[in-house]
Amino acid sequence: MTVKTSKKLGEKKAKETFRKRDFYGWLIMVPSLVLFAFFVWEPLIENIRLSFFSTKMYEVVEFTGLKNYSAVIHDIDFMAAFKNTFAYTLWSLLIGFFVPMIIGVLISETIHFKGFFRMAVYFPNIMPSLATIWIWSYFFLPGPTGVLNILTGKLGMEPFEWLNNPHWTIPLIIITLTWKSAGSTALIYMANISSISPDLYEAATIDGAGIWQRVRHITLPSIFGIGKTMLILQIISVFQIMYEPMIFKNGGPNNASISLMMLMYRYGYRDYNVGKAAALSVLVCMILVVLSGIYMKATAQKEEA
Amino acid sequence: MKKKLVSLILCTAMAATLLAGCGNGSTSTNETTSNNTTTESNTADTSDTAPADTGSDDTDAPAADAQDEEVTITLGIWPEDTLVDDIAVHEGYVATMGELHPNVTCVPAYYKYSTDTFMPMVESGNCPTIFESWFTEPTKLIAQGAIADITDELKARGWLDAMNPSIKELLSDSNGRVYGIPRDGYALGLMLNVELFEEAGLVDEDGYPLYPKTWEELAETAKTIKEKTGAAGLCLLAKDNAGGWHFSNIAWAFGATLCTENADGTFTSNLDSEEAIAAMEYVKSLKWDYDVLTADPLSEDWGTGFTQLGTGNAAMYIGANDAVNQPTQVNGLPVDKLSICPIPAGPGGQYSLYGGTPYFFSKDATPAQINAALDYLEVMGKAPVATEASVEGMKADAQNKVDQGVPVIKRFPCWVAQDVLDAEAAIVEEYGNVDPKLYDAYFEATSSDGLHLEEPGSTQDMYAELTKVLQAVLTDKNADVTSLMQQADENYQTILDATLNGAE
Amino acid sequence: MFFQKYNDKKDGVIRGYDIRSPKVKVLAVVIMLICFAMVCICLFPAIWVFLASFKDIKEFTRNVTIFPESFEWSRMAETWNAFKFTKFYRNSLISIVGSTICAVIFNGLLAYGLGVLKPKGYKIALGLVMWSLMIPGVTSIVALFRNINLIGLNKSFIPLWFSFGANAFWVVLFKQFFEEIPRELLEAAKLDGCGVLKIFTSIMLPLSKPIIMVVAIFAVTAAWSDFLLPYLVLNGTDKVTVMVKLFSFKDTPTDAVSVLRASFFAIIPPTIIFAIFQKQITDGAASGAVKG
Repeated sequence: MTVKTSKKLGEKKAKETFRKRDFYGWLIMVPSLVLFAFFVWEPLIENIRLSFFSTKMYEVVEFTGLKNYSAVIHDIDFMAAFKNTFAYTLWSLLIGFFVPMIIGVLISETIHFKGFFRMAVYFPNIMPSLATIWIWSYFFLPGPTGVLNILTGKLGMEPFEWLNNPHWTIPLIIITLTWKSAGSTALIYMANISSISPDLYEAATIDGAGIWQRVRHITLPSIFGIGKTMLILQIISVFQIMYEPMIFKNGGPNNASISLMMLMYRYGYRDYNVGKAAALSVLVCMILVVLSGIYMKATAQKEEA
Repeated sequence: MKKKLVSLILCTAMAATLLAGCGNGSTSTNETTSNNTTTESNTADTSDTAPADTGSDDTDAPAADAQDEEVTITLGIWPEDTLVDDIAVHEGYVATMGELHPNVTCVPAYYKYSTDTFMPMVESGNCPTIFESWFTEPTKLIAQGAIADITDELKARGWLDAMNPSIKELLSDSNGRVYGIPRDGYALGLMLNVELFEEAGLVDEDGYPLYPKTWEELAETAKTIKEKTGAAGLCLLAKDNAGGWHFSNIAWAFGATLCTENADGTFTSNLDSEEAIAAMEYVKSLKWDYDVLTADPLSEDWGTGFTQLGTGNAAMYIGANDAVNQPTQVNGLPVDKLSICPIPAGPGGQYSLYGGTPYFFSKDATPAQINAALDYLEVMGKAPVATEASVEGMKADAQNKVDQGVPVIKRFPCWVAQDVLDAEAAIVEEYGNVDPKLYDAYFEATSSDGLHLEEPGSTQDMYAELTKVLQAVLTDKNADVTSLMQQADENYQTILDATLNGAE
Repeated sequence: MFFQKYNDKKDGVIRGYDIRSPKVKVLAVVIMLICFAMVCICLFPAIWVFLASFKDIKEFTRNVTIFPESFEWSRMAETWNAFKFTKFYRNSLISIVGSTICAVIFNGLLAYGLGVLKPKGYKIALGLVMWSLMIPGVTSIVALFRNINLIGLNKSFIPLWFSFGANAFWVVLFKQFFEEIPRELLEAAKLDGCGVLKIFTSIMLPLSKPIIMVVAIFAVTAAWSDFLLPYLVLNGTDKVTVMVKLFSFKDTPTDAVSVLRASFFAIIPPTIIFAIFQKQITDGAASGAVKG
């Protein structure tokens, strides 16, 4: 309530110095908006324009209508990339969504070394992703000298094929992504968990609820709200996966890990076909817009509820 | 809805003003040097933003009276960072350049050509003045206007006629303009790690390795090596296009022709012929029946293959005479423990893939820069002239090879100038540091008619398709080779139709 | 002793009164052990790369061990010098300083406008920024790179610096913070006759130190890790940064050990920064709106 009244007060004042205030307001924002225009919005629009043209190097040659789009859809690697991108997203829902929750809940239940745990699980986050990909690629080497195979070998197991098994490639890449990012999500969940009122637990205990029941009925519901937001952000970022499969297996084995964005990079920088690259990224953007729309709607509903 | 429209307009408007503000730069940086007065002012303001120490190719400066103009060239042919001693040799070349052409400043900019990285470099104007590439590339690069026409510069120097005619044709467009010059030729052979052959007892009474003469024998030899030493018999590549590149040589031995150029200038893919499938079946058997490959062919590329060979993880690897520094200098194999033998024969005969490394020049390079880069080649001894400086360059290179434990062996001639060939032969004679017998069979096989140029058509795309099949058969025991090859054939034909065949 | 401390536990399901039950005691210990296991998983790759960097190429490709045969720092130094890593570090530093300044100033100003000043029509800008949150830049990298070349900003750090000035996440972070600053303070200042800028410098800035710190730290680590645009803009110049070098290993034949050592060099600076600012970083991350 207080916020509202003060806002009204502000508006009244605002009317007195109407023009000057607005002018300064925009003046302050314009440099940043120009940057946004240059780095985010204009390229987006430029992409749409380029997608309708044929190009030589980066020079626009002629208007070709939907030809680039049909070239993309009929591209020999498109279907594989399309399916894989959804596979990445699905796997990241399965693995990437629950792991941070579990980490968050578990660390919340510790009292000793809590700060250390928090720091350690967050550590992969600050490591540069390129370095981690290189490191993981040596972990996944299939021979006996691969790091994971050295470890499993100590347990008396035969060397695994890891990324070379086409059924494992995508899930394993998602595991490395999760390893990298789970910590930061877990910290957000932990912050949420610690803001749960202790009264709730006490009441539940008095009602005879065991530990697991309390987790299920109190802790998890309370972090599901923020979880939904994290989920959509995660989907959007995983949908754009590009350099991980590029460095790990160059999209292989036999296209088992190629992604849409990686295909776009190839069109743009290997085949010199900017128009085709633009067409593909417009398609990806359209999918992302739909996903974002769903997100906006979901959060709007949440606010109403 | 209305709100969205307004925001869209606002955004475009802002973008438009932004672009207009910098508009001057945008038009003229793309122009070539023909219009010097305007470019000059603009390059001046780009070099304000970029500290001048780059030097690189900002120097689109007036090129008319080139001779004594200050020229800066960036050398993509500089050695890779870890090859400290090779860099020292090149620093020597730079010093010689300083004496002969004091107006030229040389900036090292090591660049290893790859299809994924070349375009961004050209677009950002970071392409080195001179760089090495592959013989599969000129058609595409010329069509895109990504490299410079150097016909006039070569003509002025009289180098055009010194070039091997078939190579010249490869590096020219349909109007006979020339876009590159060859560094050297190579022919694929089978590199052997002699240490492992000795360990496995696969040597004759004189201690020379008993190399396999056919692909059947190779499988058996590899098996023996794996049993006796634990190392892999053969390192096969399946990470990137190099996999398809090596495979095409195997396929020829099985009698396959992978792509045919028709009379009307179109290309027909032929990846699913019986012979090609047989070759792929053979590769598959190396993994699943003989089990003689390195642990992960899918992580092996051109460079790691030499690591496997040089560090004793694999006894055999398909490699060429121009890469003998890789197993030895880079990966530590003693100089006398490397041998190259001919690529094994198959039911279809014995072939060695013959190709070469061309030098290309940045599309932004001025005639003065191109000339300076050609001068540098002369100093390196890679030009068709046997001047004093050039021979000195060859000697410095050979001496460095001796010091670094790199075999000094013959090159494949890419120039027809007799004095150059003589000079090269004399140097191999003088600096030879290995037993020629380890290479005799290879040079013999590659001097006869077993040489086979790379397939025509969109060759790198064909390699990419073949690599996918390799990846599938090397990771899946139950892979159906026939259907995979049919799929690859279909894909490759689609690419050919969309690019080369459609363009006609 | 060990379980006593659980009485002070302020969050989570297990409360002080639970710990009396032996079953819960076991559970608490098990959870702690699992947490230690997670710590191992999180830290192991970094520790391994440190150990593996001491191997030479033959040892690396043939030995089935985690530990190197010996710890020879000279090998590290050799790789460092061969790649001239000092130069990459210096370039990365230049890139980071500019990027961080841009990140704080431009995103901060925009958030000040959107969250506090709210000039007429600000909602359009806000809407656009919120949408950009959803569609990050990778999709339009081809067009962006083309534009950068067209206006002649290639071969320069400038586009990299300014690209950090347009980050919707940080705008939101700033905006949330600014909105929590009591309005009354600003109103009072305005009554005292302070102008927009004066209010910003004398009230907003001092109050915003914590958020500036958080964004700056995130910008530093993000700028250090950033490679796609830097690679496209800088590769082939002498302004190559550490990450550009790491990315270019993808296409250049470099032996595994050199790649590992370079990766090791690449994780040192963020690790140091993390060690110093871990509290600010983890708290900042926990505050929610940040995504790395």
